[in-house]
Amino acid sequence: MTSNNAKRTRVAWVLLTPFLALFVVFMVYPLVQSAFLAANQTFGPGTRTFVGERNFALLIEDPLFWKSIRNTIVYALGSLLIQLPMAFGLALALNSRHLRGRALYRLLFFSPQLMGLVFVSILGALAFEKRAGLINQALHWASSYSLLSWTTPSGGWLEYAWLQEHVMATLILISLWLYVGFNMIYFLAALQNVDQSLIEAAEIDGANARAKLFHVVLPSIRPVATFVVLLSMIGSLQLFELPYVLLDGNGGPNNQGLTIVMYLYQSGFELGDLGYASAIGWALAIMLIGLAFIQIRMMRREEASS
Amino acid sequence: MHMLSTALLALRSLSAGIWVIVALVVVSFVALSFSSRERTASLEMWMFSPEHLAMYDPVLEDREAADELDLHVSLMSIAALKSRMMSGFFGGLDTADLIEVERATVGQAFMGPVDAIGFRDLTSRLRDEGLLDTFNPPSLSPWSVDGRVFGLPHDVHPVMLAYRADLVEAAGIDLQQATTWQEFFALLQPVMTDADGDGKPDRYALSMWVTQQDNIELLLMQGGGALFAADGSPTVDSARNAALLAEIVSWCAGPNRVVTDVDEFSAAGHQDRINGVAIAYLCPDWMCSVWRMHVPQIGGKMKLMPLPAFEPGGRRTSVRGGTMLGFPRTSKNFDRAWEIAMLLYNSPEIARTLYKEVDIITPVQSLWSDPVYDEPDPFFMGQAKGRMFIELAPDVPVRTSSPYNQNAVLEFRDAAVNLLNWANTNGVDEPDALREQAQQLLHIAQKNVARQMARNVFTGVE
Repeated sequence: MTSNNAKRTRVAWVLLTPFLALFVVFMVYPLVQSAFLAANQTFGPGTRTFVGERNFALLIEDPLFWKSIRNTIVYALGSLLIQLPMAFGLALALNSRHLRGRALYRLLFFSPQLMGLVFVSILGALAFEKRAGLINQALHWASSYSLLSWTTPSGGWLEYAWLQEHVMATLILISLWLYVGFNMIYFLAALQNVDQSLIEAAEIDGANARAKLFHVVLPSIRPVATFVVLLSMIGSLQLFELPYVLLDGNGGPNNQGLTIVMYLYQSGFELGDLGYASAIGWALAIMLIGLAFIQIRMMRREEASS
Repeated sequence: MHMLSTALLALRSLSAGIWVIVALVVVSFVALSFSSRERTASLEMWMFSPEHLAMYDPVLEDREAADELDLHVSLMSIAALKSRMMSGFFGGLDTADLIEVERATVGQAFMGPVDAIGFRDLTSRLRDEGLLDTFNPPSLSPWSVDGRVFGLPHDVHPVMLAYRADLVEAAGIDLQQATTWQEFFALLQPVMTDADGDGKPDRYALSMWVTQQDNIELLLMQGGGALFAADGSPTVDSARNAALLAEIVSWCAGPNRVVTDVDEFSAAGHQDRINGVAIAYLCPDWMCSVWRMHVPQIGGKMKLMPLPAFEPGGRRTSVRGGTMLGFPRTSKNFDRAWEIAMLLYNSPEIARTLYKEVDIITPVQSLWSDPVYDEPDPFFMGQAKGRMFIELAPDVPVRTSSPYNQNAVLEFRDAAVNLLNWANTNGVDEPDALREQAQQLLHIAQKNVARQMARNVFTGVE
């Protein structure tokens, strides 16, 4: 018996070896190396000076770092409070049995995902252009019919410079186009798995639509909703391509669009200070670990309550 | 033995799909391991500009046909070139024998002391061959560190003012009389009217805005401002910079602003140019070919003139953009690479093509006598555009090669954006009234640039 166990353990190790080798080379080594780099001031990988905790001390005093954190959190909150309710609303609409052509709508809402972030960024920049942009043209048209005349800025909607005045709001609006359909698919899958007998039982008990939504549907899809919220938050904290393309590789006027990962990229790959970039990376990692910890706590609490 | 046989048994239970993936991994690994990494040509050149390559190709093909040259040219995006170049420099690895680099890209390579720069110091070679004085002197400045030259200049890029002569002359205005910006804006007042009654002028005098950092930098240099001293220390908050910032922002502020931002490269911007939203544009030589290609509708309606100066007798031009040809230190074929560089950068034929195809004037002063520069250009109503740019070339401002220039320019731009917001909030649009606030904002910008510079591993660690 003991010999059998030892044999199985050895086989397990043999089979695990390829994974472990890759894990050590591509995960453990870079992690250790980045911790080491974070204690150095560098110019590329070749030139480095040991500075101990100085990079982290600089980080705490660095207004650009805090600005990038603030911008990223604003974007993450925008995603959470605007994007996800919209995605859920769309999923509810598309889950309706009375709606015809549901498959077509699903495809339409999901299709921006097929184009990719860079392409969406370029189209977004065109849509939000001054004078000729689709958004300003539409707002100008609407205000000329008195629909939005009360909101018209002093220079008129055509002259309104979204990418100069409200960079983060513009980023959130463009990302709606990309991610609402994507998150809708998760919610839709969850809604389609809600036990119909529970809904029928609630109907028999006289529950109206609102009661069914809050007391049957939402509790049923809570695990998926938790997952989507966490996925969305983590994705938001890692935001890079959208502002990078939209703002020509810098943070835009007054660094309004500078995110944590953009700042990491600028520090490491444009200024060559891989040490400072590693310190920023560790700060981001701590934030992500914190979020993951919250997720685990929430899931455990759900498991305990169920 | 038992362990091995158990492992083999376990492997046998894997699906066919897994084995296909494993086979693909093994085949790819073997193919990559044995594929030749040797260069097929004896020399390698990296470039970012397809237009430049199109000019060089006929000359290079002639040489190759005569078996005098064995050169492979790789064309890549600016971002790819920067990334490959800097990876090579960081790691001390082979890059190319010749690299054509754009100004905004090269800064990072100049971050360390002279002996840590990845490009070869060309100063002695240029001096020995009597070439140092052949180039337009200010055109060497962006490629020089501590008085040492690290690249051959490809261009001068002087800036003129291009304006819609059809609109201006129809209004009976002789804009060529304007020698200062003040006179320029005053002369154009009659065309900045509100004919459609929407409460704002139908046309603005100039296309320029506080968010256009390249144009802001251009105007700053024209006015004698500078973001760095000769020793590389930041001078963002100098009194001259503050005065210029206040002046430039005053053009954008208030209900009577005289400038607008027409996007320089988008279709929407080109449509604005056709519609005459702005009368005049800051026009480096290379911009002429951009317009010729993308906005032919304005051809025959434009004229050029020297930039109006900030003060009477002041500088009438500036500079924007630039490219150099560098020789990485790791190249083992410097002499052969130098021959190619002389062929491409000193040849009268290529200088002529450079002007005819992309409107760029060469920095080699001895080639400026070519009659091609005197040819009338129908796009600019028959003006001898080349000669006009050449007359301004010796006056282009000397530029910094600081690796932090791009950061400083962005900080200066942010100061301009904030000053404009402050001006509009407080209803102030006179330069004198803006100057104190400009100075305060530039102090912040200076601190930010200094903070970034303090992180330089070569100079910043205390």
